[in-house]
Amino acid sequence: MIELADVESPLTLFAEGIAGRYYHIKATSEFSSRRLTLSPEAAALSRDTIFVPATLDYPDSAAYRVLVLQQLGQQEFGTFDFSVSVAKEIIPQFATLAAPEAALRESDFEFFYRHVEHPRVLQRLFTCCERARIAACVVARYPGSKRHVEAYRKHLRSTLQMPPLETLSQLLEAFDRYADGLLADGDTASALFEYGKSELQGAAHPAATVYDTAGAALHIYDHWMQQLAMPLVTLDSGAEHDDETGGWLQREARLEDWEAELKELNTTLAVEMLDGSDVIAGNAENLQDGELRPPDVDIKALKNEHDNLARRLDMERSAIRDALGPVRPLARSYRYDEWDYTQHRYLRHWCRLYEEKLPSVVQASRAEFQRVVDANAPGVLRQLEQIKPLGYRRVSRVVDGDELDFNALIEARLDMRAGHSPDERVYSRKERIHRDVCAAFLVDLSASTDDPIEPPEPAPAIDPPQDGAVNLRDPYDDDVYNLAHDLSAESGRRRIIDVQRESMLVMSAVLEQLGDSYGIYGFSGYGRDCVEFFVVKEPDQSFTQATLDAIASMSPKRSTRMGPAIRHATRKLLASGNALKLLIILSDGFPQDCDYGPTRGDHEYGLQDTAKALQEAQVKGVESFCVTVDKSGHDYLKRMCPESRYLVIEEIEDLPQALSKVYQTLAGK
Amino acid sequence: MSEAVDLAALNSEPYYLPLADEVELFRAAYDAKLPVLLKGPTGCGKTRFVEHMVWRLYREERSHETELDVPLITISCHEDLTATDLVGRFLLQGDETVWRDGPLTRAVRSGAICYLDEIVEARKDTTVLIHSLTDHRRLLPIDKTGELLLAHEDFLLVISYNPGYQSVLKDLKPSTRQRFVSLTFDYPDEEREATIIAVEAEVEMELARRLALIGAKVRNLREHGFEEGVSTRLLIYTASLVIQGIAARRAADIAIVNAVSDDATVQQAIADIVDVVLP
Repeated sequence: MIELADVESPLTLFAEGIAGRYYHIKATSEFSSRRLTLSPEAAALSRDTIFVPATLDYPDSAAYRVLVLQQLGQQEFGTFDFSVSVAKEIIPQFATLAAPEAALRESDFEFFYRHVEHPRVLQRLFTCCERARIAACVVARYPGSKRHVEAYRKHLRSTLQMPPLETLSQLLEAFDRYADGLLADGDTASALFEYGKSELQGAAHPAATVYDTAGAALHIYDHWMQQLAMPLVTLDSGAEHDDETGGWLQREARLEDWEAELKELNTTLAVEMLDGSDVIAGNAENLQDGELRPPDVDIKALKNEHDNLARRLDMERSAIRDALGPVRPLARSYRYDEWDYTQHRYLRHWCRLYEEKLPSVVQASRAEFQRVVDANAPGVLRQLEQIKPLGYRRVSRVVDGDELDFNALIEARLDMRAGHSPDERVYSRKERIHRDVCAAFLVDLSASTDDPIEPPEPAPAIDPPQDGAVNLRDPYDDDVYNLAHDLSAESGRRRIIDVQRESMLVMSAVLEQLGDSYGIYGFSGYGRDCVEFFVVKEPDQSFTQATLDAIASMSPKRSTRMGPAIRHATRKLLASGNALKLLIILSDGFPQDCDYGPTRGDHEYGLQDTAKALQEAQVKGVESFCVTVDKSGHDYLKRMCPESRYLVIEEIEDLPQALSKVYQTLAGK
Repeated sequence: MSEAVDLAALNSEPYYLPLADEVELFRAAYDAKLPVLLKGPTGCGKTRFVEHMVWRLYREERSHETELDVPLITISCHEDLTATDLVGRFLLQGDETVWRDGPLTRAVRSGAICYLDEIVEARKDTTVLIHSLTDHRRLLPIDKTGELLLAHEDFLLVISYNPGYQSVLKDLKPSTRQRFVSLTFDYPDEEREATIIAVEAEVEMELARRLALIGAKVRNLREHGFEEGVSTRLLIYTASLVIQGIAARRAADIAIVNAVSDDATVQQAIADIVDVVLP
């Protein structure tokens, strides 16, 4: 038995190496969709995730790699390139079929299936053939996987029983297994099945394309339907099958074409507007798919086409999101253990943390930055000046250097005259003084940082969204909520987040002068499967306008699940390789999240997990320090970390100064 | 002296497979006496390209004109490399100190090509030193002897630099960068890399293709603790080990998996990639 949790990290890297882009690797149980279900044993691919079973009853992790290769093979070997119009040209048998009426926004696969009387049968046949083709392509391209594939198949074969071939669905099930290499030749004695096998073998080779498998599927379908003496049991009803993800993915791939098309239209439109061509009422609506636009483009028609396409894109996007679940193509995901103090043990790989760059939604102004820095930096700098500055120092008496060291030289001469053997270290050398520090600032971006610094005035409560949001448990996952919060920012009240942002600006300005390397991160999230870790600045990035924008874009988001965020920041600090690693956590309250503990509102669990995460950091050589602007912070901070490791700020506006003091104490050692 | 100075005699042609028009561009820059900057990741063939060009320029085309024993002086820069190491220093000899030219000074005097490999690694004062050599003056001031050395007419300075490497702190200053014409290098595509591996290590094309595929796939993981990906050089090493009778997987293990990263997870992932790509 092997668990995904044990192999997830190397498997994620393996997938990234093979695919050339990042994919989250998740257990099938994490698949969240309103339309589709995945059986726990299934594997599937979505735009940014490869789903595989949480456990495999097999001793070797190579089985997971086989599954990943098979899923990625669909991208690599062109499954989603399938287009009905090309199929019509390539497959003669398909060209003769009458086209059904095109439905609104359906995948090319679905349209293809609907050309026959029993689309679900054709679908099953096609996906079987296509899987077999992909498997053949994978083995040809990655020959080393062959032995793993064969061993895994052999193992599966031993656990499977051959179904009887009495109904069509049994025949299809057997065919499914054959396509996956789980039936040995000679296991069946059905003429229908034999016909299917020979067609499948013809299409399942590395040189074949998705159209070859579509052709083979059509042949088998026709043959079976003509010869079939079995009852057609309820194949066309029921929920959408696992294979449906393929259709959605094809729609998703098509989305990219549409996006490109929209971009092109935008450009054309801009150029036409500039040219000032006459507006002629549209002829573009009459264009057929694929037909070229006449050279004399008219703006109005173009505009219409542009708007239609944009609308179509939006609708398609939301439908796909509905079917395949939310996507985070720009994030990387990591799993972390969580400390459960009630059971006194770690919950393995309990949290999923998404790391992504904080999107810059605000264009920060340099002048404002300068104002904040000017107001705070002098005092802060005075404190930090006590930390030794960078520079060079001259080291004398070395074997090799840029200058002769005259004292050493004279002594060497004296020694020689006296008949002693001289010291060869007669040079001096300039050496750089290193301050080997890396600091990570971890800023709490929970919703409560939106609170005003002054005592709050009664404000209307914000209702959680009623529909449309993806995570129904998540009251923050909605634009209305964020908009309301943004509006409150405009009302001119100073909020905790404003001071946090300013502190980060001041610290950046000062640390840039000091030359120490530092990273700025924000964290939030909602629920254990969605801890968010936002990268504002990495230690190896220089401070640019983009950093400024990112700091300005730090905004209140959701909950405060501190444990995983601390563990992730620790991981980053360890990767920095610096000798002194500092983790400074800025928060406005105790750790909390919707499922941070057995009961909601129980803060003890969160406190204990955070305390454990801080201890882990300490053991790994990361010096941590908690700064909070919550005046009641003493109550819980003293249970989370030693007294010398936290600071409660009484006056929030003092945060920049307080931070620099903390930094000086930690880094000036 | 602490720096590695490679004195290449270059009597036979170093193999180099041009990827674009870099050969013509380099020759044009040489004829126009323009210093050249080679940008690209480690092990993608920058040094080999310079050797190849020096062979062409000094051994093949102008062999009747020049009798330089050492037409190429390569200096691998490191963070302790100072201006003194390049220009020269006084050495103690008996009762006196004698001046000894550094490798850069030797190249400037003799008309060789001086190649400063990984220039960003060197101290900042080193990069400033080459400023007067790289503009119309072509002068090397030697402070310690008071000499102002005018470069030989055949002299050319070539530096290499690795943009993605390390942090921005090690970026090349614009004032230095803008004195050079830049040729950008990257790893060759799979097919050409396979050809290079096959020629260099004298292995069969099938194995070379497999190794090139490993190279391409492992480079997809560049961000994970190793900025460079696996170099063509390492792929050639692997092939060379195979020729010596080492099993391909084992050869890849020591020449690629262990060489590229120290992170156990990354090593595991690379080993898995090697495992599925090799037959």
